[in-house]
Amino acid sequence: MLKKRIIPKLLIKHRTLGRTVRPVLVTTRGYGEVREVGDAVSQAKIYEAQFADELIVLNIDRSPIAGDEVMLSLIERLATETFMPLVVGGGVRAVEDFGLLLGRGADKVSINQMAFQEPELIKAAASRYGAQCIVVSIDYRVNANGAPEVFVDQASRPTGVDVVTFAKRVHAYGAGEILLTNADRDGSGEGMDILVLREVVNAVPIPVIASGGCGLAAHFTEGFIEGGAEGVAAGTFFCFRDQNPMQARAHVLTAGVPIREVR
Amino acid sequence: MTVASAYVGIVDYQAGNVHSIASAFDHLGARTSAIRDERDIDSFSHILLPGVGAFGYCAAQLARTGLAPALRQAVEAGKPLLGICVGMQLLADWGEELGGSEGLGWIGGAVRAMAPDPPKVRIPHVGWNEVTFTEPFGSFSLGERADFYFDHSFSYQEPGQGAVVGTCDHGPQFAAIVRRGALVGAQFHPEKSQATGLRFLKSFLDMAAC
Repeated sequence: MLKKRIIPKLLIKHRTLGRTVRPVLVTTRGYGEVREVGDAVSQAKIYEAQFADELIVLNIDRSPIAGDEVMLSLIERLATETFMPLVVGGGVRAVEDFGLLLGRGADKVSINQMAFQEPELIKAAASRYGAQCIVVSIDYRVNANGAPEVFVDQASRPTGVDVVTFAKRVHAYGAGEILLTNADRDGSGEGMDILVLREVVNAVPIPVIASGGCGLAAHFTEGFIEGGAEGVAAGTFFCFRDQNPMQARAHVLTAGVPIREVR
Repeated sequence: MTVASAYVGIVDYQAGNVHSIASAFDHLGARTSAIRDERDIDSFSHILLPGVGAFGYCAAQLARTGLAPALRQAVEAGKPLLGICVGMQLLADWGEELGGSEGLGWIGGAVRAMAPDPPKVRIPHVGWNEVTFTEPFGSFSLGERADFYFDHSFSYQEPGQGAVVGTCDHGPQFAAIVRRGALVGAQFHPEKSQATGLRFLKSFLDMAAC
């Protein structure tokens, strides 16, 4: 039986130190309020030792990935020093960018704004690299009418498009997986938006990774059992306090959710 | 053969995650190098055929290298070859992805689209799933179950008689590991399957060229 996935999310920003630019690991709250938390590679190695099932690495600087040697070297180091699946996103603009990232060690490539602006890119990338490596990351906020609305540009710009409609559209274009994030709950720890997650999960036949709002190990279990997510991703939850993927695993396993067996 | 004396030639045909695979072998203590010319093949103890992308694309890229006949000759002479993901699927006669293309036909069978059956069975098949060993392989014993990382939408069906070494369920059962003599294929990504994956690669390296 296919196992559910617990997925730490590493958000990366570029930071200039003297003459060098280095990638730093950060967390965000509501996609603003950035806090630096350390080094991505050492954090990834810790997560691997704690049996994380996959890693999501996102460059949140709005800079293009093509020619971004800081980010590309980071991916290469992650793929050299850990043996776990990597989803990489941020600044992917063209089909060639998928090849660039896969060549440096990514297993799946995530796109966000481009999926909205230029959905043909999904189709082009899927026919070249296969749907299994195309992840569409969808950010949404609950609007004034109480409806979940897709937001782009680091969840700063509303699109007027309903999240379920958009999920169906990206699936039709050939997306292999959806990373669904409630941007209002990002970094809040108040729990996942189970209702909208369930709606999206029911609307598409591809796997959905849910993100935004994990503050307790129980929130992972809710995402799997009530939300129907194949994976639950969290950034802030794993970065602060004494929470790690092993503790989340224990809770999820006790609740009867099938997860990877580790010996 | 000891792992330290293994020298793995990775078929570099611009259709695979060469970097991750090389890192995994490096971690195990084996040397790796890209195969770019058929004259190189003799110098390797093992061959690795990676593969990420559409079946037809990978088949065409591999054909472009012109390496297939020499690889086949090496395998027939007993040199171990491991195909990973689409590299495994290429061992089949045929793949139906994007209108259909011929494979290498070294193990037989066909590669077909997996059928989604939501809410449980979602396609692509992404994540950790259990492989049951229906034949022993290296340090994996008959009947053993182990979790590996999968990421695919097409699966290997009806390989030749006796070629299945491991099975997996996602909807209908499919061949997760196939083998014919020195030729091995794995649908999952051992290079991404942490300790269990490294153990699988070690088992492959332990296959000595006859």
